[in-house]
Amino acid sequence: MVNGYVAASLKEALEIRAAHDVVPYAGGTDLMVENRKGVEYLFLSKVPELKQIAVDDEYVRIGAAVTFTEALASADVPRLMKEAASRIAAPAIRNAGTFGGNLGNGSAKADSVLIEFVADAKLRLVSKKGERIVDVDKFYLGRKKLDLADDELIAEILLPKQGLEQYSYEKVGGRNALAISRVSFAGVFAAEGGRITNVAAAFGAVADTVLRYKDIEATLLGKTVDEAKALKEDYLKAYADRMVLTRGRVSAEYRKTVCMNLLRDFLTKFGI
Amino acid sequence: MADIRFTLNGKEVAYGGSATDRLLEVLRNEYRCTSVKCGCKEGECGACSVLIDGTLLNSCCVAMGAVEGARVVTMEGFRETERFAALDKAFGELSAVQCGFCIPGMVLAAEALLSKNAHPTEDEIREGLSGNLCRCTGYNAIVNAVANAAKEGNGLW
Amino acid sequence: MEKISQSVVKKDHATKVSGRSVYVADYPSEGVLCGKMLHAKVARAKVLSVEVPELPEGYFYVDASDVPGDNNVNIVLDDTPVYCRETVEYIGEPIAMLCGPDEKVVEQLRDACKVEYEELEPVIDLRTATEAFFDYRFGHGDVDKAFAEADKVYDEEFETGYQEQAYLETQGMMAEPEEGGRMFVHGSVQCAYYVHGAVMRALGCGPTGVHILQDVTGGGFGGKEAFPSILGCQVAVAAHKCQKPVRCVFDRREDMEYTSKRHPSLCRYKVAVKDGRVTAMDIDVIFNAGAYSTLSAVVLQRGIIAAPGIYNVPNLRVHGSAMKTNTSPCGAYRGFGAPQTFFAVEMMMDHIARDLGVDSLAFKEAHLVKQGDPTSTCGKYHFPVPIPAMIDEVDRACDYRKKRALYAKPQTGRYRRGIGMSMYFHGAGFTGSGERDLIKAVAKLRKYKDGTVEILASNGEIGQGVRTTFPKIVANELNLPLDKVYYDHPDTARVPDSGPTVASRSLMVVGELLRRAAIKLREQWVDGEEQEVEEHFKEPDFMIPFYIDKFEGDAYPTYAWAVNAIEVEIDTYTGVGKILGAYGSFDVGTPIDYNVVMGQMEGGFLQGIGYASIEKMDYDAKGRIRNNSFSDYLIPTTKDVPNMQCMLHVEKYPDGPYGAKGAGELPLVGAPGAYVEAVEQALGGVTLNHAPFTAEDTLAVITKEAI
Repeated sequence: MVNGYVAASLKEALEIRAAHDVVPYAGGTDLMVENRKGVEYLFLSKVPELKQIAVDDEYVRIGAAVTFTEALASADVPRLMKEAASRIAAPAIRNAGTFGGNLGNGSAKADSVLIEFVADAKLRLVSKKGERIVDVDKFYLGRKKLDLADDELIAEILLPKQGLEQYSYEKVGGRNALAISRVSFAGVFAAEGGRITNVAAAFGAVADTVLRYKDIEATLLGKTVDEAKALKEDYLKAYADRMVLTRGRVSAEYRKTVCMNLLRDFLTKFGI
Repeated sequence: MADIRFTLNGKEVAYGGSATDRLLEVLRNEYRCTSVKCGCKEGECGACSVLIDGTLLNSCCVAMGAVEGARVVTMEGFRETERFAALDKAFGELSAVQCGFCIPGMVLAAEALLSKNAHPTEDEIREGLSGNLCRCTGYNAIVNAVANAAKEGNGLW
Repeated sequence: MEKISQSVVKKDHATKVSGRSVYVADYPSEGVLCGKMLHAKVARAKVLSVEVPELPEGYFYVDASDVPGDNNVNIVLDDTPVYCRETVEYIGEPIAMLCGPDEKVVEQLRDACKVEYEELEPVIDLRTATEAFFDYRFGHGDVDKAFAEADKVYDEEFETGYQEQAYLETQGMMAEPEEGGRMFVHGSVQCAYYVHGAVMRALGCGPTGVHILQDVTGGGFGGKEAFPSILGCQVAVAAHKCQKPVRCVFDRREDMEYTSKRHPSLCRYKVAVKDGRVTAMDIDVIFNAGAYSTLSAVVLQRGIIAAPGIYNVPNLRVHGSAMKTNTSPCGAYRGFGAPQTFFAVEMMMDHIARDLGVDSLAFKEAHLVKQGDPTSTCGKYHFPVPIPAMIDEVDRACDYRKKRALYAKPQTGRYRRGIGMSMYFHGAGFTGSGERDLIKAVAKLRKYKDGTVEILASNGEIGQGVRTTFPKIVANELNLPLDKVYYDHPDTARVPDSGPTVASRSLMVVGELLRRAAIKLREQWVDGEEQEVEEHFKEPDFMIPFYIDKFEGDAYPTYAWAVNAIEVEIDTYTGVGKILGAYGSFDVGTPIDYNVVMGQMEGGFLQGIGYASIEKMDYDAKGRIRNNSFSDYLIPTTKDVPNMQCMLHVEKYPDGPYGAKGAGELPLVGAPGAYVEAVEQALGGVTLNHAPFTAEDTLAVITKEAI
């Protein structure tokens, strides 16, 4: 076809990707709005290896060309991810939009990417030469800045199978549907034997990339809930000092206030 | 170069243009499916909704290469079905059509919803139609019409 | 329910639902040139030169020098140019149109044009604007004395923003030269004869030199009242030059950024209160007209006449001005100036009540106008004012009084609730003597030999149902089945000028002409003969003549009335307001088709709620509108107001068909007052002064007031 390649297998897709200057096309919902001129697309929606949701010992592996609608129908996708996916735009967009595309578009507003950040997800990137597995925060570097080589494709998102049960998720959009996030927040909490083992907090749509501060999180790790409570105000202040937000459809001040409110609420929800 | 082959409203067609062309524009210009309306070209209004392999999509956000081998249905095809007749009747009885511009897309969104969920609740209808903007009706008549079609058209979905 | 109110399947239902309706963009492109506008990129500048790339054969560049007639568009005044003059006055002003067979090539050529500007200092901020296109004053009583004797004087300013019509079909017009030199212009329009007059002038021809057809129109809401006259002239001039059909359909961003929208406003209210009653209002209304005057005169008139609301104000002084700024010209939008002032007066009354320690509903009730009372312009409310009964209807629907008292108590926790109410009218038909002096509507019925009857009038179906309701009236009088009476989209070559499709007038004014025409035809009916009858507008006898120079007399023959209540739940962490319920009682007289009228009420009410809450549009320091897409300018979806309940209250108008009054605009007007009052209550009784009131605004108040 003119200006496009349809790959029937991952192998074929990687060969095309290596041989030609192509833009990977999964769902099209961002690319077609961008409407870049003079490009060639590599159509990935028929690559079976990218369409699977699989579970192994450690991870739920979501193929890059899996759509949000498909994920919502899967029993294997964690509830937190489903909640975020269900809030994306509207049915027609969820029918087309994919996990890989959400990442590939390189926007901090991407609702599924927020969950990947808070969940410490990994990505499997593949090329003709092989594959590598990277942490999402090492991959997703800033607006339209991704650690993706010209011959690579995102193959899978590896979401930890466990540990995402206790969470807070909030999306603030401009309306109840068809809403691009203005602020999004996800927090994941876990405790074992009375000690906090995880207190991850990620903020979307407020800066060039999804924000997460693991060093601040670490101040609460290993603490009891009561000990954490005593540290709460310092912890919140550390976030308030660190977060430098950008303005977009709403002001930076608005975003900051919402982020701090939601962060505080997240802690409160888990007794801190 | 090979054409892009797909079925459009049950008929096999071959498109020789660019794989990056918008399905919306190709449907309107090349195949004269003018029921498919252009409201925004950004996936934000639903006026260009079509069914691709039974799934609701915004045709403005679909590149031609992505429809290779697919079944594309627009209102030109859907209006020949019994399911359309049930929706048509329900929309007509409640005067749910005002300016009409959103309506072909809205009806296809209703079809996509009912084909997955034959007896939706009001909330589910509102969710199913949430990507289709209508500026005229305030949506109540449309939501009620879809509910009535589901009830009256029992067995069709 | 009366027979005329019983719903039928709309006449245009079948073609629209099946996607067979042909909108202007749907005509085949073969032989039609695509027109793309070259828009100004700066807010104010001299255009020194335009460097046009070499045009391939069959491609054209069209600008003011190609206008065969007058380069001024006939609207209210004629300051709007067809294509720009020596200067451009706002970002987006049309400099020229590029035309040719291939859309992509036309776009490339357009984008390759280099415009050399000499930039001039623009006026962007309404508060610094000094040039008034229109400036009006009126009033009655002794305002100064009332203020001198007042127990307390209140002084507040209210602000409202743009509202974009956001019809789903963007603006689009097409012009086709016909044999013999006549120009055929058609497209998405509300007012075929407005376009007719404008194109005649631009082409410099007589009335038979052009004709205008309304195509199926994908929504108007006022946005296609005057703007199509401009675009119609532009395509007509282009088609005249190219001697080929030319079509120009705006894309969404062009439409949102550069076409007319609701006037932003600044309203200052000074109110004197004595013994717990309002004794005087001194009101200053400023509308941002944008760069050209278009419809601002009439929008402002309606806005200032409504400024004291539906309350008796014994001493009144109103000053209104429509200011020029170097921004997109504002124009008609459903409500036409009244939503701005009704918002201000409803909030003002609410704030005074709170200060006096009484509930705002009780305070408003104590000031309500009633039948026989004078209007703001010393006319008279000739007919009953059903507001008290309508308040009760809304109260019953949502338990308003109980909730209002409950939510007034201190609230804690993340989510807080409030409920608010607004009450208002919409003056039915043109303001003042427009119907009598300017429009002079004529409508005809033509009966064919087979007994079918065609309605000949110029009111366009824009979704509001006139292709159904007009035939219902005529069929009813002629005792004919509805399928024997039909009404097509108007073509000025074959229909008389029954006036524009605006001001909630079509059904009330033209519908009544048709009813009378049908009676005439019934009396003259001869089987098997072709017959034609005609009716002319006649002003009702009871009216007190209106003088626009003094703003005195009956500005409207009658009023449609409404009471709205909106219940919200505010998320104090995010500022997001969830609408728990929206309730409206609307009196538009007898509904000529219950479903059609309910569709108008529900659609209009939701637009009003959008205007109150999420529909924010603003420009930057350079005068560029930032919210120019459906992802940046948000209108309500199916999920935003799931619980919206509209009710009809019928107070018949004897001079409207079967008692019908104007309906289309009413439901939009009052939502901001009810919504913002509800937000105030949810936030513990704060004082809020602008709309839309967004989540960001709400959170700012929460932070500032430490709520």
